[in-house]
Amino acid sequence: MKRRLIELAATTAALVGFCGAASAEWSKTYVVEWNEAAMYYGAKTGVTDPGTDCPKGTNPEIDQVKLLEDAGYTPAEAKWLRDPANPSRSPVHGQNQMAFRGEGRANVYIHPETTKDYGLVGVSGKISEGINLDGDTSTGFVSPTGEKGIDNTFYKTLGCWKTYRGPPRLSSGALTFNDSMREGAWTVVIVVAGKGDDPMNDKAVDVGFYMSGDKLVKDGNGEIARDYTFRIKPDAKFEALFKAQTKDGVITSRTAADEVWLRDPSYTGELQLLRARVSLTMEKDGSLKGYVGGYRPWKPVYDGWVRARGPVIESLTWVRLPDVYYALKRSADYSPTGPGGEKTHISYAERVDAIPAFVMTPDASKQVTEVTSYKAMASKEPPEKKKIYVVDGLVPDPKVPFGESLKVYPVPAKVSEAASAAPASGRK
Amino acid sequence: MSLRFNRRSMLRGLLGGAGVGLGLPALDIFLDVNGKAWADGTKLPVRFGTYFWGLGLTDTPTGGTRWVPTKKGPGYEITPELASLAPVKDKVSVFSGFRAIGDGRPNVVHWSGHASILSGIAPAVTGSFDGPSFDTRIADAIGSSSRFKSIDISPSGKALSYSTRTGKSFSTPEITPVSLYERIYGEGFQDPNNPNWKPDPKVMLKQSILSAVTDQRQALMADVGTADKVKLDQYFTSVREMENQLELQLQKPEKCEACVVPGRPGEAKKSASIDVVNENNKAMAKLLAMAMACNQTRVFNCVHTPGASETYIAGDSKIYHQYTHDEPTDAKLGYQPMSSKLAGMVMQGFGDFLAEMDAVKEGDGTLLDNSLIMGFSDTGYAKIHSLENIPMLLAGGAGGRHKAGQHISSEGESVTRVSLTAQQIIGAPVGEFGTGAMKTSRPITEVMA
Repeated sequence: MKRRLIELAATTAALVGFCGAASAEWSKTYVVEWNEAAMYYGAKTGVTDPGTDCPKGTNPEIDQVKLLEDAGYTPAEAKWLRDPANPSRSPVHGQNQMAFRGEGRANVYIHPETTKDYGLVGVSGKISEGINLDGDTSTGFVSPTGEKGIDNTFYKTLGCWKTYRGPPRLSSGALTFNDSMREGAWTVVIVVAGKGDDPMNDKAVDVGFYMSGDKLVKDGNGEIARDYTFRIKPDAKFEALFKAQTKDGVITSRTAADEVWLRDPSYTGELQLLRARVSLTMEKDGSLKGYVGGYRPWKPVYDGWVRARGPVIESLTWVRLPDVYYALKRSADYSPTGPGGEKTHISYAERVDAIPAFVMTPDASKQVTEVTSYKAMASKEPPEKKKIYVVDGLVPDPKVPFGESLKVYPVPAKVSEAASAAPASGRK
Repeated sequence: MSLRFNRRSMLRGLLGGAGVGLGLPALDIFLDVNGKAWADGTKLPVRFGTYFWGLGLTDTPTGGTRWVPTKKGPGYEITPELASLAPVKDKVSVFSGFRAIGDGRPNVVHWSGHASILSGIAPAVTGSFDGPSFDTRIADAIGSSSRFKSIDISPSGKALSYSTRTGKSFSTPEITPVSLYERIYGEGFQDPNNPNWKPDPKVMLKQSILSAVTDQRQALMADVGTADKVKLDQYFTSVREMENQLELQLQKPEKCEACVVPGRPGEAKKSASIDVVNENNKAMAKLLAMAMACNQTRVFNCVHTPGASETYIAGDSKIYHQYTHDEPTDAKLGYQPMSSKLAGMVMQGFGDFLAEMDAVKEGDGTLLDNSLIMGFSDTGYAKIHSLENIPMLLAGGAGGRHKAGQHISSEGESVTRVSLTAQQIIGAPVGEFGTGAMKTSRPITEVMA
């Protein structure tokens, strides 16, 4: 029924003619049903196994008791802080005291440089998914299909971190954020339009990524339903337009887009890409698969993880967040101000899977057949603020002021005795 | 005169080509002259309970399931995480593949799943439902003739209940065996089998105080405006309920063959470790089972462990919630081993609970045979807070109305179908349940006798 209505609308629109710019000769429209950081998995099995990307497998779990001891807590204090029986350890928000392990008990989430860099182990393999962003085939990775010059330093830096590592669609981070998107948290549609006769080989193609306020719909098997209808929701920030071409059904950028913004499947939530490009394939089954890449600012990535509650992220994803800060800062490979400027950005690619969908104009009056900007139509209202109350990477506990856990809930004598009997390795 | 309908009758018809059934409430015409048994002699299905546990059961995107039976219909096989249910398998139906549908609302983690199951609508925010939980409707239907309309327990020691009449405020549960004992068997308890029963003077005094203000109550209602009338009406409704309860306590209770007043339990340990939670759960199940056998209540709600469960294995530094998120899927096993182990331990709680109810003999069967307990969780695949394939179970014979021992497999239908089925089996006067995409008038008739 829905489809019939849309066909009717499209027919009507064709009869009355489109306003504005002349429509393209052909167009295809999609909705993103999965997107994740493009992280090549070099193992043949599992989700954490050793592979060509990470020869020792996914980075191992952090010994958090040892971490606290390294920061100067006594073994008894460290053990008690990590004890599930400790009332200050929230099952939802973690153990706030984990933050205060910097010099002078500084909060390492907001002051990461007050603690040492343990060194985040990154990818050592030569293969990566992504796009050649700088046109230089002598640098970067080789793609799984043999293309040289793939720029994806984000992957090289964070690719062995458990939250990102795994085969397509199976890393824990991708599963979490895509499930959220698929349950209706946000929707991204893609419009591809060309001026030539053959969509598969066209030298003048435009690609547009837009937000939609309409939620994804699941079919009876729990997959995102094809051929559903979505209206573009003009957004003042999230919109990405590309000048491209097609060759044998593969859409590639003709020129890099200076700056685009996409809804990021991460705690950061937003993805700014400079010098952005696409490489997308129109598959025989009607779907669209590939990458959108560019240089993203690295600091918001770190801040996103901190805002997601530092202690929770560290324990669930097996990482020391200051290590992530140091690694991203060290690996950043692009400066918007030129080669000599501060490298605030890092090369990145996002893997995108999209399926056919009907995409309508914001007022649903006609089917979208061309790529144009809708930013001017965006609401002037500020975006809704997130409800979770996080301060400096921590959720305040009214019973336990920041850094006062050991005063409010001192180490029980039993724990203290057991700890003092054990060797105090790593104690300062 | 023969009846055209009996207690098992359903109004049946076709909707969109599919068969639908509408259960009937426990009408007087279906009862024997005493109202204590069905006209054909079998006992009333007068007990209902909800049993919640946090963090679902193990299911992974790569296909590893530790709880969904392969066989559908009757005679399903016991899966590893349902092992604790083996002794009562034929009294338990398993529902797999059902999901909570948000209708565009975001997945409020560790909340949307059970809120949808109980209220029929995905909640807007955590901490409240957008409607009452359906157990309250059942309590209204079958709980008025017992001392407590319903009793809530939370064996993990956290004061948690998901039973709500308003969606905003939730019942206050008993959190230790001792507090549960005191509530049921402490002040005000009357042993139904005591041959020397006499009305409690304290109860008579309370009743007379309420009666004394009746005239003033009516005068006050006549003086106030509409808004206040609504408030007062709500208030006096609860007062009338209290009067009914007092009235009930002033009547000599019916003898209950199965009722044996238990002894006071010892002080329980306080810990979220799974062994302690299960120990308390079992002790409270025993007290609750006898409370039902003694006709102190006919409805209960149990929250074994919260959605973001903090339970853990004693000596381990990680809690169950953390394992579900941070433990990788073992490539060879195809699932998260520690999460699965903990899921099995958590389900041991449900097995113990049902065993306690099955241990109470009632007539030719057991208390469990005369009860219906809906077991459910907040999530499917807990690692990502999935709202798909949320495990749901119906346990107990419901006095013959539940065709138990089946595995019902769905491909993404709404969880509210199971909720509606539970309500209709127990006899609540409800023809449909849920809102939006979760609105349904189709119970799962395969499990309805």
